[in-house]
Amino acid sequence: MSESENKTPNNRTISAKGIIAVLLFLVFVVTFYFLIGQDKTELPSQLINRSAPAFSVKDLHDPSVTYTQDVFLGKITVLNVWATWCPSCYVEHPYWELHAKNKDVVVAAINYRDDRKKALKFLADRGNFFQWNLFDEKGRLGIEFGVYGAPETFLIDPLGKVRYRHVGVVDTDVFESIFVPMIERIKQEQN
Amino acid sequence: MKKNAFSFLNFMPYAVFFACLLSASTANAVIDVYEFDDPELEKRFIKLTYELRCPKCQNQNLADSNSELSLDLKAIVYEKLNAGETDQQILDFMKQRYGEFILFNPEVNQSNALLWAGPFIFLILIGGGFFRWYLSNRDLDDE
Repeated sequence: MSESENKTPNNRTISAKGIIAVLLFLVFVVTFYFLIGQDKTELPSQLINRSAPAFSVKDLHDPSVTYTQDVFLGKITVLNVWATWCPSCYVEHPYWELHAKNKDVVVAAINYRDDRKKALKFLADRGNFFQWNLFDEKGRLGIEFGVYGAPETFLIDPLGKVRYRHVGVVDTDVFESIFVPMIERIKQEQN
Repeated sequence: MKKNAFSFLNFMPYAVFFACLLSASTANAVIDVYEFDDPELEKRFIKLTYELRCPKCQNQNLADSNSELSLDLKAIVYEKLNAGETDQQILDFMKQRYGEFILFNPEVNQSNALLWAGPFIFLILIGGGFFRWYLSNRDLDDE
């Protein structure tokens, strides 16, 4: 009887230590879950809520036409970065026909590191749903925008500020669930 | 005859070794696309391309990567070095566009402070624990 009484406090101190150890372990698990559980291959854009970079780039269709960052002013622009060498862009392209029906936005594009002939053939074959298309042959405009792979899509507000960058295909789901609410918010800000 | 075959097999590792040497020298040749008049600029170019991460391939630096984007970024580093920009200006240019992620040696900030401090916290905890254990053992010896 006296033996079991001696053991009890001993057991209690061990279990208190055990609880602390388990709690510490859980804190680590939760911390690392949130640190590591994120998709770190998707890089956040550095341009969010900043002005789109300054540029002067020629039009894909008509090289005599040059566009600057002023093209964004006064409209909400959905700017797609695409190329004929980009497999996902073939998957994404038909969706632009749907997105272009949205009357609140200008759907436009940057043809990124591409061949002019191939790009024009792509649009002729599959339909051109972009109101204008910048020809970024050397990819320097893409670097200004922090592009690291096509397709990427930027949402730019009427003040020329980048509001969102999506990496990957903008299908109906992505457009309806991410872009449309943001477009509505930008419209409300204007009023 | 048997002995000949044996010696051929013995020679194989050397053959593989020399094949590796050859392929290593061709890999080096790719890096030598950029020519510098000033060896100091070349040193800085090598240092910068080792410090910058390829945003596309993510676990390679610009020096090791031959992705199209890395080639573009290397070309920009080359241009900027020749234009007389400092290393910090070039790193800032990359950081502005691709974020801190592009630096292989990340700076200390709020989001990674715990990661930087972690080893030191552990060291203190373990050191403290060891010291307590040492004290209690010394007490036992005294008794």
